[in-house]
Amino acid sequence: MTGTASRVELPSGIRQRTSAPFGRVVSSELSWILHRPRNLLALLGLALIPVLIGTVLAITGGPSGGTGLFSAVAGNGLVLPVLALMLTQNLLLPLITAMVAADGLAGEAANGTLRGLLLAPIGRVRLVVVKALGVLLMVVLAVGVVALSGVLTGLLIVGSDGLVTLSGTTLPLGEALGRVALATAWCAVQMAAVGAVALAISATTEHSLLVLIATVGGLIVFGVLEAIPSLEWLKPIFITADWYSISDVLSDPIRWNNLVDGLWRAGCYTLVGFSAAVARMATKDT
Amino acid sequence: MTGPADTAEAGVTSAPASGREESEPALRTSSLRKTYGGTVAVADVDLWVPRGAVVGMLGPNGSGKTTTIRMLLGLTEPSAGSVELLGYRMPDQSGRALPSVGALVEGPGFHPFMSGRRNLLRCAAMEPALYGSDVTTAVRQALERVGLVEAAERKYRSYSLGMKQRLGLAAALLVPRDLVVLDEPTNGLDPAGTREVRRIIAELHASGTTVVVSSHLLSEVEATCTHAAVLQAGSLIAQGELATLLESGGPNLLLRVSDNESGLETLRQSGIPARVERGELRVELSETDAPEVVAALVHAGIGVHEARRNRAGLEEIFARLTEGES
Repeated sequence: MTGTASRVELPSGIRQRTSAPFGRVVSSELSWILHRPRNLLALLGLALIPVLIGTVLAITGGPSGGTGLFSAVAGNGLVLPVLALMLTQNLLLPLITAMVAADGLAGEAANGTLRGLLLAPIGRVRLVVVKALGVLLMVVLAVGVVALSGVLTGLLIVGSDGLVTLSGTTLPLGEALGRVALATAWCAVQMAAVGAVALAISATTEHSLLVLIATVGGLIVFGVLEAIPSLEWLKPIFITADWYSISDVLSDPIRWNNLVDGLWRAGCYTLVGFSAAVARMATKDT
Repeated sequence: MTGPADTAEAGVTSAPASGREESEPALRTSSLRKTYGGTVAVADVDLWVPRGAVVGMLGPNGSGKTTTIRMLLGLTEPSAGSVELLGYRMPDQSGRALPSVGALVEGPGFHPFMSGRRNLLRCAAMEPALYGSDVTTAVRQALERVGLVEAAERKYRSYSLGMKQRLGLAAALLVPRDLVVLDEPTNGLDPAGTREVRRIIAELHASGTTVVVSSHLLSEVEATCTHAAVLQAGSLIAQGELATLLESGGPNLLLRVSDNESGLETLRQSGIPARVERGELRVELSETDAPEVVAALVHAGIGVHEARRNRAGLEEIFARLTEGES
């Protein structure tokens, strides 16, 4: 320890600042997320899933005579990214989203680092905004990785020079990629909604695991309830209600109804989740 | 154990004396209170910390030190009462007060998967009082200050308890502060580390920074502090300048002599009031001073084995407070 270390000279005026520049805080948060080994491993794992599906389908030739996406992939590579999104959207993507949201508030609280952030100080509302942006980044990366890996695998392994839609028409490569991009964005919006709710749960606890259990458990419960015919009237409140409609981007023309419903629903979930997270953080003992 | 009321009667609890209001305190609480359900964690604490002071918050474990500190810093909302930190009301104006406050509360908190330096960089990015271009310099200087330069690139999870504590200190000292709050800063440190912390506190004091340091060890507070505040069961039972607190109750001289009876007789003949207590002579020094007492005994041919000032006030209070623990 050197006692003589000179101190950083503070220009007059900077002491008046009540919080660090927003951009610096956000970029620090994003770099924190991207330096976390487990987040990188999760992205790597996600990238492998379309490869796995594509390889299996290429080897086995896929199911014969079906009508689902699986059978549509055969010889039709650009269906693969949409299929991969639909499959990961049910469990894996929400799990990874919830994991990052759990790290964001509950994990920081458990580590004792949340205190440090609040003492810096970073305002409590601002903290939730920064954390939400962090979750959003991870969502975009995760969904993007699945889609990108799906497109590459589809083009390279399954092979395709266009897209045969579920309606039987054929789209040129450019428009086909546009459809994939649409599915990716739609999926990202759904996951952002999951992330907002997970962040709200994250704000109430110090136990990251609880956030994972509550988020993924909630989605499973939705799935179960959806399967009960007499609860049909409850369907509009289930965020999962339209998740299979992601394949509607592959119709020609696109069947917008359910996709748009899904966006509204995700918007509501995002709003409620984010507001709840802010409200909880505002009074939380840390 | 006698209650806090006794202590107050003994004049240890010093109400803000006249004149103290003249200068703005670094920290002031009024009737600060925190209850969890039916449990009172902090009861009506009126803390007063003058600027530039090094205040030791003393109290046994569970006496409300940490809860009080958390309320001072706006981490916990008080159930009642108010906090003024560097002239700003907490927690409403924490954005104004906290950039000038460094704190280490409830142990160091860092991410195990990142190196010490990366952890500090993350803290520095959040500091309002640092320009982007100063961040790396500030981090390097903070690491130097606590002697962690060599371990800076190691993952935090590989740090020893003492190194973790040092990194916590480094984070609190990233920018020059007006007030530094350290909650049990010597926890987990070896004697050398403890001395370093004392040196850092002395440096802060010398540069005019106000320091609040909590401890359950009187010796720790005696070694570093100018002021003390004693908490017991959530109540502030004494606060003021350390010297005053230590002397309160009247100065005493304790003497271990070869023969208590003849020693007592000699002193009485010299007109010095004395009594035997726990096998020693206790002399009130209100009307005489220590050399006179010792001289009288030595002239009478009584061997003086040991003579020491008895600093009754704080020590006795604290002994009473902590004797319940073991």
